Amino acid sequence: MDIITVHNLKKYYGDRGKEPVVKALDGVNLAIEQGRFTAITGASGSGKTTLLNMMGGLDVPTGGEVIVDGVNLSSLREEELAVFRRKKVGIIFQNYNLVPTLTVEENILFPLDLDGSAPDMRIFREITELLGLTDQMERCPDMLSGGQKQRVAIARALVTKPAVILADEPTGNLDSRNSQNVAGLLKMTTEMYHHTLVMVTHNPELAQMADRVVRMQDGRIVESPDTPC
Amino acid sequence: MLKNNNLKICRRLIMRDIKFHRVQYILLSVSVALVCMLYTISLCLGNLTYDGFMYSYKIMYGSESHILFYDLTSSQAAGIKNHRSVKNAVSLSAIGVLSDEMLGNRSVKLAVVSPGWAKETDAVPMQGRMPEKQNEIALDELTMNSLAIPREPGAEVSLRWTPADGGGERMDTFILCGFWENRMGLTETCAWVTEETAQAFCGGTPEKLALGVTLYRPAGLEKQGAEILSDLGIQDIPFTTSLAFNDARQEHAGITAMRFYRMNLIVMLCGILMLYHIVRLSAAQDVRFYGRIKSLGMTPRQLRVLWVERASLLSLFGVLPGWLSGFLLCAVLAPHVVVGMEENPALCFFRLSPFPVSGILTFLTTGIACSLPMRTVTGKTPVEAMKFVEKEGAGSRRGRRRRTSLFLMALSGLSRQRGRSLPGTLSLLLALCILCCIWMQGASYDQEKYLEGMALFDYLIADASAEASIQRYNPKSRSITEEIYEALASHPAVTGIGAVRTMEVPMYADEKGRAQILATFEEADENGTARKEYMADNPDWMAGYEKMRKDGEYIGIVAGVGGLTLEKAMARNIFIEGSFSAELFGTGKYVIAAGSSSPVLKTTPPAGSRVVIEGREFEIMASVPYEESMISGADSREAEFNVTYYMPEEVFEELFPDHGIRNVGINIDQNSQKEFEQFLDSQLQGTGASVVSVSDYQWVFRNSVFHNCMIPLFVGSVMLMIGILNFGNVLARGVLVRKKEFAVYESLGMTKRQIRRLLLLEGALYLGSMLLILIPATAVITWLWGRWWLANTNTWCVTWHYSLMPLWISIPILAALVLLVPLYFLNVVTRESVTERMRVI
Repeated sequence: MDIITVHNLKKYYGDRGKEPVVKALDGVNLAIEQGRFTAITGASGSGKTTLLNMMGGLDVPTGGEVIVDGVNLSSLREEELAVFRRKKVGIIFQNYNLVPTLTVEENILFPLDLDGSAPDMRIFREITELLGLTDQMERCPDMLSGGQKQRVAIARALVTKPAVILADEPTGNLDSRNSQNVAGLLKMTTEMYHHTLVMVTHNPELAQMADRVVRMQDGRIVESPDTPC
Repeated sequence: MLKNNNLKICRRLIMRDIKFHRVQYILLSVSVALVCMLYTISLCLGNLTYDGFMYSYKIMYGSESHILFYDLTSSQAAGIKNHRSVKNAVSLSAIGVLSDEMLGNRSVKLAVVSPGWAKETDAVPMQGRMPEKQNEIALDELTMNSLAIPREPGAEVSLRWTPADGGGERMDTFILCGFWENRMGLTETCAWVTEETAQAFCGGTPEKLALGVTLYRPAGLEKQGAEILSDLGIQDIPFTTSLAFNDARQEHAGITAMRFYRMNLIVMLCGILMLYHIVRLSAAQDVRFYGRIKSLGMTPRQLRVLWVERASLLSLFGVLPGWLSGFLLCAVLAPHVVVGMEENPALCFFRLSPFPVSGILTFLTTGIACSLPMRTVTGKTPVEAMKFVEKEGAGSRRGRRRRTSLFLMALSGLSRQRGRSLPGTLSLLLALCILCCIWMQGASYDQEKYLEGMALFDYLIADASAEASIQRYNPKSRSITEEIYEALASHPAVTGIGAVRTMEVPMYADEKGRAQILATFEEADENGTARKEYMADNPDWMAGYEKMRKDGEYIGIVAGVGGLTLEKAMARNIFIEGSFSAELFGTGKYVIAAGSSSPVLKTTPPAGSRVVIEGREFEIMASVPYEESMISGADSREAEFNVTYYMPEEVFEELFPDHGIRNVGINIDQNSQKEFEQFLDSQLQGTGASVVSVSDYQWVFRNSVFHNCMIPLFVGSVMLMIGILNFGNVLARGVLVRKKEFAVYESLGMTKRQIRRLLLLEGALYLGSMLLILIPATAVITWLWGRWWLANTNTWCVTWHYSLMPLWISIPILAALVLLVPLYFLNVVTRESVTERMRVI
């Protein structure tokens, strides 16, 4: 069953009245199956991050549509889109996007706090133990290393038990040892909790860990095998 | 789906933000307090200006009551008291009116004690008590002064009065039992007697009453008064309404108070700018932060709550100190805005309403100023918000390639900031122009000139009956005795002293004299209006003038002068006709004539002509302008049109022996001022005589200057503050937004010391380029405005004084900012490592 469907997705930057300056996405079609780990690869500027942002409702497409867990994102208002992101999607950013003024624990629980819903403490403990964060709970993000920060970001993405986890170059700021660790953790946790993971990376080793690799070039998907690698 | 919107998280984020950005929040809170203070000041000053007017109108009206009904029977009075519009009423039963001519135009009713009326008209004895026994009387001090009644409770007082029942004028003796100072009732008041006294004089209390009424709704008093009478079917009853509730007067008071209320607009504008400049320092960072939390699922509603809570908390921090400091400052300014009150007007007219209003305005101002990141984020997707960077201007492009130096880099940095520095330069220019113009105006008001015109002496003592301009001078008054005069004259601090004694004398102008005076008043001035027409609204003057025109008869005010008073009367050395010879004047055969205060108009008989005073003939030696500030109080209504004749005091005493002293002018050695003032107080204590000192005039002068300059000074100061803050902001932003750029420089081998030098160079260049505009522009604008103002002002006591003091004061402040701000913010941004800073978007 497909949890994400992308139809003829376009994202142009530039003056609409004139010839677009940049075609970040140019008619992308993609379907992502539930529970699978999909890696999107491609050179810089190929449109990987833009595609991921569209899937997470972080950006508005110029044309086409994105359907996530049966919800057409273009039909949602800004307010609804925010709640959608908070409930349905867990996003892991390359630069972590932690709230510097909150502690590790508060950062992890932030999406739940925004929602006003009580955390499932069993899952929370499990995730933090799994990610080795139990001793870091009272610390602020600026006291953590890059790898630790990214683990906090992963925990934050998992804690809401989202339908989809979108990871944008989650190891981009990490050294190779940390990169392997983080990617391994991501794969392990998503398998554990049966999440669908979509990860943008240009690291071929990490892409090898995925069930499916989608390759992009110049805003288009050039290779998208249906079967696992 | 939208139900789960936790708003408590917003509070937590704000509290953490405060903890993490203490300096910014302290700066913001201080600015919010400043804004709140300015709102509180302007609202409080506006209110007390309005209330001050209302108070003065009540004083003019003489009563706190809204409507005064007259000639009522007791049943009519009861009907009015019970009317639905009437909240409460006080009645007055007057048995007559004092008719001594020395009271001049004042009306003093002889009335049966009415505690309610006395309270409403502030006619309650402050010394002694209300009458309790037959023949006892309580009086106001002005009446006592005019009738030369000593302030001695228990003393016998003979008063001439006319009964209200139409009987003829009579003279009766009373026992003074109490008296009060006139705060109200300057033109109309009561003399209180008991019911027994009224019974004894008139065979009972009079049938006719006056009723002072307080209404539930003090608006449209004329209409309400007429309605009350119409409802009772007694439309013919006369009534007056309080001036304080007169529409036109209320409008005038409102317009005057509006000057202060209008300041709120400027405060709002300046406050928004001031806070905005602080918020802007971290605006890009805030926008990215909002984008980040938006990407995690924060809804626009939660973002709005975040913004409102931030503004609310900042307002909460700033409002209390703002209220306190605003009120304290208002209490300092209030005596300069509402003058002449013993109590501080800020306390006297204290109202609570300005405080919530200033609180709300502060919140609005803070909210608008803090909305910048919120407005930027609105309509942006989380991705756009997270990538937000402020646009930098393009650096200057050089035609040919040269080696880069710190100076060239600083020059390039300066040209990148040119767009942002323009508003700062303009606001500084505007503020400095306003301040320099107003400073120059203040400095051009010439105190020496003013004192020369207003205060002839260091101290002018006035007889108790000549203290106020509405009081007719009573020559029988002896509040300044010969003993007092001698004691003052012999005080070692006194360097000059002179007395003025005056007497109204019927005189006759011969053909020549009459022709000269008539020619002046009948002649048309430059506006084509006969000069006498300007006096048309003074019927007493017109009657006196007509009498002189027909019969040549007029009232001469003969003034015996000597010593310092003679010296000052001639001090201006302006002679319309003739000249002054002290030797000849001392022979006692000559007088000096003074008509109007104009230095050119001939309003006296000509010099050289002869006048007869008390049977003795004098020659007019010279004609001079009348010296208004030498003789206080008023003369009789018949003497409204008069000619004053100065004669030597010895001659005056020969003609009018045993005559009181009206005024004494004294000059002293300024080193002994305190000691002399103590002596003066001890001499005049309990006499009723009043003193006006040169320092009183100095206070009035300074107060008037302050009053004239206060609002523009206030506006200019706030704008200057904004301008300086904006300048500091440009310097700070010049560092903060280039966090990554400096990291790149450092990574390429530039030392922190070099970066510091670069920033100082940029600051110096920025200041220099700004001063190149500010100094000539301010100097020229101030000069042009000053010349225009000098040519168009109606004030007589000004002397051109060109000054750019606010500009010179501002330059070191700006220079200090150039030194301190970039270095402080460079320290802040370089706390992070080069790599961390280079990662910043």
